[in-house]
Amino acid sequence: MSEHRAVVVDGVSKVFNRGTPRQVEALVDIDLTVGGGEFVSLIGPSGCGKSTLLRLVANLIEPSTGEVLVAGKDAPRARLDQEYGMAFQQAGLFDWRSVARNVELPLELKGWDGSRRRRRALEMLQLVKLTDFADHKPWQLSGGMQQRVAIARALAAHPRLLLMDEPFGALDEMTREHMQAELLRICAETETSVVFVTHSIPEAVYLSDRVVVMSPRPGRITEIIDVDLGPSRTVETREDASYFKKITEVREALRAGEDDRETEAVVAEERSSR
Amino acid sequence: MIRRVALFLGSLLVVAAIWELYKLIGPEAGGTVFGARLLPRAQDSAMPHVWDMLSRFGDPERRGSDRANWRVVLAAAWFSFRLALAGFAIGTLLGMGLAMVMARFKVVERGLLPYLVMSQTVPLIALAPLVATWGGKVQVGEWVWPRWMSAAVLGAFLAFFPVAVGALRGFASAPSASVELMRSYAATWRATFLKLSFPASVPYLVPALKLAATSSVIGVVVAEISTALRGGIGRLIVEYAQQSTGDPTKLFTAIFGAAALGLLMAGLVSCFEYVMMRNRPRPEEDERALDTIRREALA
Repeated sequence: MSEHRAVVVDGVSKVFNRGTPRQVEALVDIDLTVGGGEFVSLIGPSGCGKSTLLRLVANLIEPSTGEVLVAGKDAPRARLDQEYGMAFQQAGLFDWRSVARNVELPLELKGWDGSRRRRRALEMLQLVKLTDFADHKPWQLSGGMQQRVAIARALAAHPRLLLMDEPFGALDEMTREHMQAELLRICAETETSVVFVTHSIPEAVYLSDRVVVMSPRPGRITEIIDVDLGPSRTVETREDASYFKKITEVREALRAGEDDRETEAVVAEERSSR
Repeated sequence: MIRRVALFLGSLLVVAAIWELYKLIGPEAGGTVFGARLLPRAQDSAMPHVWDMLSRFGDPERRGSDRANWRVVLAAAWFSFRLALAGFAIGTLLGMGLAMVMARFKVVERGLLPYLVMSQTVPLIALAPLVATWGGKVQVGEWVWPRWMSAAVLGAFLAFFPVAVGALRGFASAPSASVELMRSYAATWRATFLKLSFPASVPYLVPALKLAATSSVIGVVVAEISTALRGGIGRLIVEYAQQSTGDPTKLFTAIFGAAALGLLMAGLVSCFEYVMMRNRPRPEEDERALDTIRREALA
C-alpha cells in the first residue's frame, strides 16, 4: 500500500429534502480513507447509504456537510479531471455502439483521436478477455460479458480509482465468482484502488482489504474490518477457514448494527412514553 | 423484405376481392340495418368495379384531351408530394428543435407543452385561409412568399407535433444510470445529447416520423382544398368529386393517387428506419443471438 491516498471522506453528512416533511438523513458523520491500491467494500442493509456514499465520492451528489477528496483533489475537480472510473449494477452499455466503441466512450469525451482510442479499447478488452467480441453489439453478449465490457470501459482512461455499485448484483453465482476473480486480477495488474458497494458478505470478504460495515437510518459506519486474506486469492480461498472466520465477523458486525438501532428505538420509545 | 412486399400486394388483392364481393351481394340502392341506413350502395356509380377504376387511369382525362388520366394524377401527386416533403422537413426540424429546448430547460417544457397540445385542437380548415393571408403579406427583399408555401406550412403544422412529443420522450428515455455515467465523465450537455440522448431517442423518433410523414400529406391536401391551390392532388379530388355523377371512376383515381402519396412518404421514413435501426437489438432476435454467442464462448 502506497502513501498516496485515493479517497478521503472527512466528517461527511448527507441530508435529502432538507426542511421538508420527506427529509431523510442518509449519512451521518462519515470518516473513511482509502489508500492507494486498496480494495474497500461498503456493506450494509438496503437504505444504509452505501450507494449514497459512493455517489458522494463520485461527485454525482454534493455532501451536506464535510469534505470529500479524491486523488488529493476536491471531489468536483476530481470528477472533471476524470480521476475515477465507474461501474453500476446495470452494465449500461449503449446499444447503438459496438463493444469496442462502448469502451472508447470515456476516451472520446477526453478528446483522444480515433486510432489511439481504438488501440486502448482493444487493450482493455484483452484485459477482460473479450477481444474476439470487439465488433459485436452489446445486446449480443451475455450479462456477465456485458458487465466485463462495463469494467473495461471504467478502466479505459486508466483511472487510479474504480467506483463500483453492486456491479455483479445481477449475475448468477458462478459468473459472479468468476468475475470477482477477474476483477482482483485486473486490479492487481493495473494497481487500481477500488471502492465497492455490495450487499453480499462473501463477496465483500473475498474481494476486500477492508470491509466497511454500515447501518441504516441514519446511515453511518459501525465497524471497519481488516480482511487480509493475502494477495493471491484462489478458489481454495473460498474454502479456507480464515475466509469463513471473516465472513462470520462481518455478519456479526452487521447484526450488531441492527441491534444498536433496536436498542435506540426502544430507548427513544421509553423516553417518549415518559 | 420480399415477404413484406408480397404481403402488401396480397392484402391489396384481398381488399379488392372484398370490394367486389360486396358489389355482388350488397343491395344496389344501399340497405338498412335495424332501421339505420348503414350499408353503402353497391351500384356502379357509388362503388365502381375495381377493373373499371384501374382502366380509368389509361383513359384520357377529359373527353377530347390527349393526356391520359394517369399522367394528370401522377403530376398532381408529384406536386403535392413535394409540398408534403417540404412540410415534413419543416415540421421535423421544428419538432426536434422544440423537443431539444424542452429537454434542456424543464421550465420551457412546463410552459410550452400545453400550448403545443392545444395547437393541435385548432381545426386545419380554420387555420388554412389565415396562413394563406398572412403568407401573402410576407416579402423579404426580392423574395415573395409563394402560394404553395402556405400548404407546406400547414403540412408542417400537423407534422411537427408528433415529432416534438416523440423526440421529447425519446430524449428522456436514456436510462438514469447512463445519464449518471455521462455525468461521471464530466460530459457537457452537448456531448451528452449527441452521444446519449439523441441516439437513445431513435426508437421513439421512428414511429413519430412515420406519423409526421402521413400527417404532412393530410395537412397539404386539406390546405390545397381550403386555400384553392391549383396543381395538387387535393385540388384534383375536389374537381373530380364534382364530376363524379357523370364519371364516378375518375374520383377514385385521384383518391388512389392520394393514397399512393401517403405510402410514398411512409416508405421514405421506412428507409430512414432501416438505416437507423439496423444496429439495434430486435427483441425476437435477441435470445437467438445470445444463444449462438454463448455457445461460441463456451466452445
